[in-house]
Amino acid sequence: MITIENLTKFYGNNRAVNNISFTINDNEILGFLGPNGAGKSTTMNMIAGYLPMTSGTVTIYGSDISKEPVKAKKNIGYLPEIPPVYPDMRVKEYLSFCAGLKRIPSAEKSSEIKRVMNLLKIEDVSHKLIKNLSKGYKQRVGFAQALLGNPKFLILDEPTVGLDPNQVVEVRQIITDLRKEHSVIFSSHILSEVSAVCDRVVIINKGNIKAVDTIENLEKSLGGNLVLHIKIKGNRSTASNVIELTDGVKEITKIEPESNDFFNFTVKIDGDGDEVKNAIMTELISHSVQISEIYTEKPDLENVFVELINNTSSKSGMQELYDEIKAENPQDSDSDEEVDE
Amino acid sequence: MFSIYKKELQSFFYTPFAYAISALFMFLFTFMFNNALGNLEQADFKFTFPEIFYNVIFYFIFLIPILTMRTFADERKFGTEVLLMTSPVNVFQIIIGKYLANITVFLFMIAGSLFFPIFTALHGEVIMSQLICAYIGFFFWGAMFIAIGQLVSAFTENSIIAAIIGEIIMFVFIFIDDFSQTEFIAQFPHIQSVIYAFAAQPRFAYFSQGFIRLSDIVFFISAIIVALSWNYIVIEKRRWNRG
Repeated sequence: MITIENLTKFYGNNRAVNNISFTINDNEILGFLGPNGAGKSTTMNMIAGYLPMTSGTVTIYGSDISKEPVKAKKNIGYLPEIPPVYPDMRVKEYLSFCAGLKRIPSAEKSSEIKRVMNLLKIEDVSHKLIKNLSKGYKQRVGFAQALLGNPKFLILDEPTVGLDPNQVVEVRQIITDLRKEHSVIFSSHILSEVSAVCDRVVIINKGNIKAVDTIENLEKSLGGNLVLHIKIKGNRSTASNVIELTDGVKEITKIEPESNDFFNFTVKIDGDGDEVKNAIMTELISHSVQISEIYTEKPDLENVFVELINNTSSKSGMQELYDEIKAENPQDSDSDEEVDE
Repeated sequence: MFSIYKKELQSFFYTPFAYAISALFMFLFTFMFNNALGNLEQADFKFTFPEIFYNVIFYFIFLIPILTMRTFADERKFGTEVLLMTSPVNVFQIIIGKYLANITVFLFMIAGSLFFPIFTALHGEVIMSQLICAYIGFFFWGAMFIAIGQLVSAFTENSIIAAIIGEIIMFVFIFIDDFSQTEFIAQFPHIQSVIYAFAAQPRFAYFSQGFIRLSDIVFFISAIIVALSWNYIVIEKRRWNRG
């Protein structure tokens, strides 16, 4: 397990990371989400032991990164934002150098290099100079470096930036596969990516943690904004009355006539989506309104993100969530720990 | 440490770099050697290799910053410093690994210069003891300036700037001897002796005359230790300040 406690970083008088705490469990993929300049890379650099922290501790499988750096770093594979590759080296040479840095015994070296090259599909460029590779390949070579020696804890700083859509899918698949025997923290500013891969997310902005939770919980806490789309055939006013009176319905946001007797309802609901959906269906049928289509729309995580980041929220539901999180996360230190426990 | 050493050597010898710089050094040496031979014909003049070394060193000293300019500057430029810092090696090992690699290239250059004494020995007489002393002095001299060049390289991420600053420092080290002899400084004998103590050039002169003095060796070794420790501090400090 990796524990980050009260991590703070000042650059001069500028506070880049403010007292953040969270844990990364074994075999867990933790998403680290925030807009540009939120302090993601700074935090990751501190976790990896590249930047010293102003205060706070990072403990990696029992070793404090600032007190026992060599021991702690043995368990880390780090892919920084810019892949740390030497342009004048060949891919295989580079990986061999990294294997030496990571103190992989020379007997296992070549098989280990083969393994990571195979995993990231870079065998065909193994004899090319790194400076001649495309951005995507450089990224993969950097990733291969992080996987060398099979470290238990992987820190991936925006691993899919600059890759083409095909490669993005591949890299995501690799990350998902890593879950079996690794803990991963991976940063991104793309929400769909995080929700596709991660078990939990940490949302950070301006150095402060805005939320630490599972994706489901984040979605759930947005229950107020779950949206139901219903297409009915029949009397419009009956239907709207019935829907409005059903428990769990917050408001009908839109009614669109389609053709003849068909109407599209867009309904905001509270609470559990399936229950409300069933209740509405039962009610509508008992009032002999025909339902031709009904589905709930997943709350848009992208919106959660945007709202969490910008506190000038207009929607009441978002504002509540934001306030809630803010209340759990005041500026001072002690309560930060409560968030992840 | 060994893997860093090996990688540095690869980057010197897999590229034309080490060969180009050695060729330049050989060119300088040849030039001096020819001059000495020319003098030999004109007058009743004997030449010794230590003298050639003594002359070569003025030019040679400007090659050192070119050798060391990339040592840390390029790591920063390419963002590979992160890789080194997050690997299970400590900063001290990184510095020593790189230093040893630079020293190895330096030895490669010196080895090239052996051609001249060997060639001379075939046609004349070489005073071996003096020659060995000169080589030892030359080695210490180079080792000290490599440590300083490496330190300068840690200050910047632009290797050209590292080279230029390095040249200036080398220049200062060459002229510190003359500077301490100026009339102005001579007014203050205490200050003069302190400044003179830092002049590496007279120390090399002793070596080239066949003296191995403990004080000179201590001077060179302490200069190397100071430069490398400073190097360590610069790198650690930058990690703290980096924005």
